[in-house]
Amino acid sequence: MQGGSSGIGYGLKYQARCISDVKADTDHTSFITGTLSLREENEVHLIRLSSGGTELICEGLFSHPNEIWDLASCPFDQRIFSTVFSTGESYGAAIWQIPELYGQLNSPQLERIASLDAHVGKINCVLWWPSGRHDKLISIDDENLFLWALDCSKKAAQVQSKQSSGMLHYLSGGAWDPHDINAVATTCESSVQFWDLRTMKKTNAIEHAHIHNANYDMKTNHILVTAEDESGIHIWDTRKPKSPIQELPGHTHWTWAVTCNPEYDGLILSAGTDSTVNLWMAPTSVEDEAITESIAESPAQQADPLLNSYSDYEDSVYGLAWSSREPWIFASLSYDGRVVVESIKPFLSRK
Amino acid sequence: METDDVPLDDKAKRMRDLLSSFYAPDPSSTDNAPSNPGTLDAINTTSFDADQYMNLLIQKSNLEALLQRHVEMAAEIKNIDTDLQMLVYENYNKFISATDAIKRMKTNIVGMEANMEQLLDKIMSVQSKSDGVNTSLFEKRERVEKLHRTRNLLRKVQFIYDLPARLEKCIEAEAYVDAVKFYTGAMPIFKAYGDSSFQDCKQASEEAIAVIVKNLQGKLFSDSESIQARAEAAVLLKQLDFPVDSLQVKLLEKLEQSLGDLQLKTNDIENASMKSNDPKQGKVSDSVHISAHEGSVRGFAEAISAYRVIFPESEEQLIKLVQDVVVKHFETTEQYVKGRISSANLLCVLRTIWTDVLLLDEVLSEAVLPVFSLEAAQIALKQHVASTFNYLLQDISDALVRVNASSKEAAEEHPLQVALEASKKAVLQGSMDVLLDFRQLLDDDLHLLVQLRDFIIDWVQEGFQDFFRALYDRFLLLSGRNSSSRQDQGLTGAHGEKVLAGLVLVLAQLSVFIEQTVIPRITEEIAASFSGGGARGYENGPAFVPGVICRIFRSAGERLLHHYINMRTQKVSTLLRKRFTTPNWVKHKEPREVHMFVDLFLQELKESASEVKQILPQGLARKHRRSDSNGSTASSRSNQLRDDKMTRSNTQRARSQLLETHLAKLFKQKVEIFTKVEYTQESVVTTTVKLCLKSLQEFVRLQTFNRSGFQQIQLDIQFLRTPLKETVEDEAAVDFLLDEVIVAASERCLDPIPLEPPILDRLIQAKLAKWKEQNPISP
Repeated sequence: MQGGSSGIGYGLKYQARCISDVKADTDHTSFITGTLSLREENEVHLIRLSSGGTELICEGLFSHPNEIWDLASCPFDQRIFSTVFSTGESYGAAIWQIPELYGQLNSPQLERIASLDAHVGKINCVLWWPSGRHDKLISIDDENLFLWALDCSKKAAQVQSKQSSGMLHYLSGGAWDPHDINAVATTCESSVQFWDLRTMKKTNAIEHAHIHNANYDMKTNHILVTAEDESGIHIWDTRKPKSPIQELPGHTHWTWAVTCNPEYDGLILSAGTDSTVNLWMAPTSVEDEAITESIAESPAQQADPLLNSYSDYEDSVYGLAWSSREPWIFASLSYDGRVVVESIKPFLSRK
Repeated sequence: METDDVPLDDKAKRMRDLLSSFYAPDPSSTDNAPSNPGTLDAINTTSFDADQYMNLLIQKSNLEALLQRHVEMAAEIKNIDTDLQMLVYENYNKFISATDAIKRMKTNIVGMEANMEQLLDKIMSVQSKSDGVNTSLFEKRERVEKLHRTRNLLRKVQFIYDLPARLEKCIEAEAYVDAVKFYTGAMPIFKAYGDSSFQDCKQASEEAIAVIVKNLQGKLFSDSESIQARAEAAVLLKQLDFPVDSLQVKLLEKLEQSLGDLQLKTNDIENASMKSNDPKQGKVSDSVHISAHEGSVRGFAEAISAYRVIFPESEEQLIKLVQDVVVKHFETTEQYVKGRISSANLLCVLRTIWTDVLLLDEVLSEAVLPVFSLEAAQIALKQHVASTFNYLLQDISDALVRVNASSKEAAEEHPLQVALEASKKAVLQGSMDVLLDFRQLLDDDLHLLVQLRDFIIDWVQEGFQDFFRALYDRFLLLSGRNSSSRQDQGLTGAHGEKVLAGLVLVLAQLSVFIEQTVIPRITEEIAASFSGGGARGYENGPAFVPGVICRIFRSAGERLLHHYINMRTQKVSTLLRKRFTTPNWVKHKEPREVHMFVDLFLQELKESASEVKQILPQGLARKHRRSDSNGSTASSRSNQLRDDKMTRSNTQRARSQLLETHLAKLFKQKVEIFTKVEYTQESVVTTTVKLCLKSLQEFVRLQTFNRSGFQQIQLDIQFLRTPLKETVEDEAAVDFLLDEVIVAASERCLDPIPLEPPILDRLIQAKLAKWKEQNPISP
């Protein structure tokens, strides 16, 4: 299961943690990524996959004032993205716009549309609604969940509502349900919590420890995939929070990020601190129980959910993004600042 | 000669035919010869046409043949002539003899008339005399007849009057048959005249009969009487129009009662066989009990047969009764089987039942008891197999759970080792015992079991298959790995977090043991004595598939081992998480001493190492330092780096040194941090340490440090180097990881200036001294 060198590489200057698919760019397969360097000048890279799919081209290089801990591209405007950044001592979050004439400028400056400055503690992430145009944003810090109303034309963001996560729940991240504009899942140390944005009330919770990352299945409603420290990957039906539908072994060390393919049902990608990216096939539809059981029994082990393990990384992989334009392509980002774009086509044919 | 013979025969035949045709009443009957005039053979038929014949002959034959035919025909004609003459002559002879006979008859018949007339006269005179006698005797005869009738009537009346006395006598003599016969004889009279003339008599005899009925009933119910006597009594009672049905019911009830007795005795046997620890004594007492039981069954069987004789039409009820007996037998057996019993005991019970069945079958073969009991035995045996495996499973998990208990007491020095040995023994010995036990079932020549042989084999094989599956599930359950099954069984509260890491390790090692030792042994044993079977159909293959089980346990072993490592690292992980998320690293104070999380970390490792040491074998010699892996080069380099680090003191140099580390890392080969875990002490400990250090690195990467925070990390890591290297197999990788932590810390540091080596050294020495103080024994 060697990853081989099928991937297309691209090097950032510094270490980096986050990469995002530029969903609004319908003409090209592009990704946006930002560096994480405490003491150096940080950069935001806009990368485009060449039309032949053999090369990664730097489409734009912008300086960013601080090290970037989280980055998300706006799903309806390819020039807008959000970052969460840190000066080392304090955190901030902002919405940026890529200047229109950046091709002509030497060192184009990013235009700050709005800063989400209501936070006090450590900000974890900013979420856009993944399924289309929606003028709301969610930002999550250690203790609070903010709902922002964003007005791009006025270049302003207003706190619409805010909810504290409650005592002893340190939020670590979240995911916005692509099927329900009012449902958000947040992860914290001991559970996944579900929120209704209309009331800002907690609706449900999955009690499970050490969840790093959660991701909704784009195709199937109610399916949430989570990644944990030790116990790998769990697939949940949010209506049945007692026990997971399926369990995948995950990585040798922590499973850091997990993401569902936007097009192909049951394809899950996970990145781990063991410097690998794993591609899983986990049909979430029917007979999940039967399948997990038959793994132990079937002599040929045909049901091995692990399709491939890409291990050609030098350091822990934190960033992971499927391309929504070409859903068989994903980009991964390891801590040493190396972007690798891979195609999973050889594994699709196997189905 | 032959040619002469044939025409001669023909001649004789024709003669006969002619003669018969002559005498035959219907000339057409001879006409059954082929009457086709178109052939030459038609010469002898009635429809012979001479012209046609001639034409045919001339057409068909040449001259020579015609000539020959002419000669033949001439001879034939001559022959026929002589024949004709002879026939005439013979007829004439017969005619002459007939006339002779008629002449003789004519002479004999003369004089017969006179004799006849004389005879008639005599007969007439006899008749008239006889009439005279008849008329003279008629009166007397009538009187005689009348007298005779009166006498008979009187005799009957006498009989009726005597009846009570006679019945008394019969009662005295116990001649109930006669009594009943008399009484039934007198019955019609009593019926006709009982209310008038013979009232007293009737009453008396009815009383007597009542006594008889009572006696008969007593006889019927008394077991001491012979069956024939009782049967007779029943028949007599029936003749007396006694309501036999109620008797039948009563008797049945009695039989049912005796059934209860029978049942109790079965229990006795079981008790006896259970109590009998000493085999010899046990056998004796068993046999005593068995014989007692057999006696009662025999009695029961006799009663049944008697009953059957008495009430022949009650077969159905009896069959039901007998089947009840067997059903109850097997019910108790099933109850019995639920408990923990050896096959020998079961065998004993089955044998008893079988003898019972045979005994009863002799009496009542219509109940098809053997078939019936075969089915029941099948169920019982199946249950037995299932329960035996259940108990085995229970034994094993008991042995395992004991780890929990014993480690709480902490009395034993190596509780895990003890537990492992105990559970190993439980598995191997237990399954061997089970096999041995079942073999007794197979070896026995009890008819019942012989018929079920194939089934037993299949059940045992299936039993093992299911048993190992169940064992696997149990392992997962015990390890707390299988969260879904845990929830299924509602044991979340009971097990939940309490699962001991050590237990998981024991389970892992036990899985390996099962895969490598137990399964082959069992396979061998099954092949030796449980081959065959096939009652479940060949298309399904044999019920016990060792390959599948082996695979299950191999993967289980690996999973459990990983789970163990995970549990261990998880503990450390929580420790580290607390350590790194609690303080504000940006405002950290200058390091004064090695942080105490290092102690906790080392303590965890020590605990894990002690567990591992108890369970897992030592790996190949310790000197094996992965010289084959690419780690060694990195190790030497990083060692060198560290030495460099120690010697340099000024801050600028430190900065450049960090850059150097970066560069070195770029050129260095990737160290294989995550290697495959093996079942050795070193491998497990090393993997644990590696995973912990990796977690440490990741936690560091998530923080931002000021200078002091970075120095604190540097100090802690520096201190960790020595003790970790002592415990770990793969020094290179550990070194690499420790360096990585420092690198990560420096990267995340706003002002990465390392501690001056002398200070570093001093702090470490201070910690070491303190450490030694606390653990004086440890080296």
